[in-house]
Amino acid sequence: MWIRLSRRKTLILSVAGAVSLGTRLAAQEEGLRLAFIPQENPEKLLGDIAAITGWLADQIGVPVEGFVTIDHAAAVEALRNGDADISFMGALPFVLAEAEIGAVPLLSEVYRGAPNYTARIFVRRDSGIETLADLGGKDIAFADPISESGYLYPLAEFVEAGLVAGPGDADAFFGRIFFAGGYQQAMQAMAEGLVDAAGASQYADLLLTPQQQAEVIWIAESEPIPSHVVIAQPGLDADLRSRFVDAMMRLNEAGNRDLLRYLYGPDGYVQADPAAYDGVRDMARRYGLLE
Amino acid sequence: MIRKLLGFVIFSLAGAMVSFGPAIATPAREAPWLPDAAAYRLTLFLGNLEPLPWDDVEAAWSEPYRNSEFSADALTWLGEKSDIETGPLLDAMARRDRQSLFAAATRLMALRIEEELGRALDVDDPARAQQAVRTAGELYRAFADGVAAADPEASRRIGLAWLELNSSTGSAGVLGAGTTPPDRETMVTARAVISDYLAENYLVDNFAPRQELSPLPETALLSGHDIEVPPSLPPGSDIFDQDPLPLLVLNFEAQGIDETDLPLVAYGDMLFDSAQIFGSPARDLGIACSTCHNRSDVNQRLFIPGASHQPGAIDVDGAFFNPIFNDRRDDPLDIPSLRGLRFTGPYGRDGRFASLRDFTRNVIVNEFGGDEPTPFMLDALLAYMLEFDFLPNSMLTADGRLTDAASGAARRGEEIFNRPFVGLGDRSCASCHVPDGNFLDRQAHDIWSASPAYEGARAGAFDTPTLLGTAYTAPYFHDGSLPTLAAVVDWFDETKSLDLTDAERSDLTAYLEAVGSADEPYETFDAENTSFRLAFSELTTFASTIDTLLPRRDAEHILLLTDTVAADLSADASTMSNLAGRPEVYALAERLAQVGAAVRAGDWETAEAHWTAFRDAADTIEERAF
Repeated sequence: MWIRLSRRKTLILSVAGAVSLGTRLAAQEEGLRLAFIPQENPEKLLGDIAAITGWLADQIGVPVEGFVTIDHAAAVEALRNGDADISFMGALPFVLAEAEIGAVPLLSEVYRGAPNYTARIFVRRDSGIETLADLGGKDIAFADPISESGYLYPLAEFVEAGLVAGPGDADAFFGRIFFAGGYQQAMQAMAEGLVDAAGASQYADLLLTPQQQAEVIWIAESEPIPSHVVIAQPGLDADLRSRFVDAMMRLNEAGNRDLLRYLYGPDGYVQADPAAYDGVRDMARRYGLLE
Repeated sequence: MIRKLLGFVIFSLAGAMVSFGPAIATPAREAPWLPDAAAYRLTLFLGNLEPLPWDDVEAAWSEPYRNSEFSADALTWLGEKSDIETGPLLDAMARRDRQSLFAAATRLMALRIEEELGRALDVDDPARAQQAVRTAGELYRAFADGVAAADPEASRRIGLAWLELNSSTGSAGVLGAGTTPPDRETMVTARAVISDYLAENYLVDNFAPRQELSPLPETALLSGHDIEVPPSLPPGSDIFDQDPLPLLVLNFEAQGIDETDLPLVAYGDMLFDSAQIFGSPARDLGIACSTCHNRSDVNQRLFIPGASHQPGAIDVDGAFFNPIFNDRRDDPLDIPSLRGLRFTGPYGRDGRFASLRDFTRNVIVNEFGGDEPTPFMLDALLAYMLEFDFLPNSMLTADGRLTDAASGAARRGEEIFNRPFVGLGDRSCASCHVPDGNFLDRQAHDIWSASPAYEGARAGAFDTPTLLGTAYTAPYFHDGSLPTLAAVVDWFDETKSLDLTDAERSDLTAYLEAVGSADEPYETFDAENTSFRLAFSELTTFASTIDTLLPRRDAEHILLLTDTVAADLSADASTMSNLAGRPEVYALAERLAQVGAAVRAGDWETAEAHWTAFRDAADTIEERAF
């Protein structure tokens, strides 16, 4: 299913337009293929991809093609089956892809000066909820079960606090657990009073209206989580990989910073440190996602 | 004033806008609307304008909405994504039947939601199912504020159903890890909650006649209760401040006088940025004087479908803002700059108001449906607006001659500008745009820039506009029909038979650009000198007028101030780059609201205590307010 969809999307959404699918070898000779994960609007992302891949092609000197996959899983699948050389990825899907297909981390996104961020538990200011323990028997919305800041790390706060025995026991503590589909949906559900709390990225309250932001507080914060990462399939030619990384690092230069908005809008990139993901690997093991 | 700088805040549920007290002038950037949902919301909005702009309604479906992130128009989009018949909708538009249009468009939206929900249940792949649920949810957004206004309980029930639906679609995990199978039974149950409500309210065969087109559910309408859906702007609207932000030059400030020492001016500054002085819908939408005239200049990006024919233009006497003042003429005007306002009377594009006070009252009461302003409010607004200065321009002397800083081309253009032309009745450009009179003559002239409204009409005269600062206020003419100063030169050359050579046109353009230039046209921001710091400084300055109003026990004007400033301060905190500083700003805003609450209760002692606490806290927070 993933493969078929991914290929179809490649054909439909190909920015270069002329590059057809070929063998691994042929693909590398032709250039680089980048898989992008959609956020809000896949079609807008296509416009962004056209802008950034055009620039990257100029910088690297080979054709660069980008396509949108339906989700992280499809992007990893594209790396495995040769549809993509490089993908933009969350830290959790990356460590899973690393374990399964040997994916390599190349670059980490920087936000507000750091290649990491935290997850928080948000509640409404007027809810009277002050501690994690106050959420016993109450409803919580997370973003997605395969999300580090939108599920694993915020839930780990409850484990840390001794309220939840382990990842499989959360149902015993909470009233209901919802997966809302994204940070914004989880935060909206909390802000509108559909649930009592939301577990999401530390910046997720910025997805609420200005008035709602004033009505929301956070009561717990996770340890730092490595930010989103750009990863490569393990067989990617070393020289090409290096030229790609160099080009991406040039996005940090003042004259190129405008281009960052075509790439999920980070403040910049740093070269990825594989050791930075040890915490995520541990977390994935605890949740039974990784052996 | 600076109040609309939100760069990255997005939200998607229209219902989320519903529940707040005082209007704020900090709009949130909306998440993109799907093309079909956008067309529906535009249809509702345009369908309430009188006369109904049918061409715009058709364009809402056949052209991508303005600034859409989707390249497809709604009909093309539907053709690609949906099997739902658009025939009834097209038929209603062809017949120009408003009620049928409402019914067909509403049913179409409801059917689209049903279609996506059906897809979510039909597919095996959780990722595709989630995508379908997400799409259905984004389409439901077109009804959400109507449901929230009419039936909070149903709104909550449906909100939970969407959560259930999302949660029960399962997860494909990544390469087999973290796989969760879909829970079909829960999906079916949750879907039924949504579908049943749609069937009862939006998939109705014969909708009751609509006085006003809105997403109000049918059952709510039939109940006979008077339910109002909070006003909202349709997709494609833009009331954000332009970027870069024009520099505001206030005469007193340039002389080093502190605004906090000028309470009347500071209060006027607050009013200029207060949506509270207008009536609904402007008030509810956070539209203030500064929305159009940001920083005393023009907001070149402002656009409201049906009321603007292009960015930077608005029809303030159309159907949207104040129906009683609707002149039933589609005549949006290019927003004029207010720089140098004390030198630019009479007021209005055709100079119909000799008095700025009368003009201002007309804006508040007639154009934007506000209550009659008090004499103090008008005095304050005028005191503030009369401080608006032209932008300093080192290429011009005080009497309007070019300095050595100007280019050779501009100097040659200066000669042409002062040269009499037969086509101008032996007058020169400078005859009306008098260089030593701020490049205007305070008279109205008919230069044939507008078509006569009827045969024999003598109604095409417009007040001579200043040329100062015009390098930053494109487009030009009362209707913004000329995009550049070069186009203005070409227009005069052609319509007045000036017979200028190419070189002369170029030189004259260079002269206009030099006259219209400024040493510093825009605000500059950096890591700590942020737009929020500017907003914080302005809002606390506004609040300082309480020092004057409290001893006078002037409850009315204190409440207008606290309602405006407390809400804006809190909302503006969302624009802070110092995220950790937000709680302090929220607390500060709350303190100001407490001043208002105490005044409302007639407890002046408590009001004074809160006011003292506010001032102390504001001083403490100031360095972290960025």
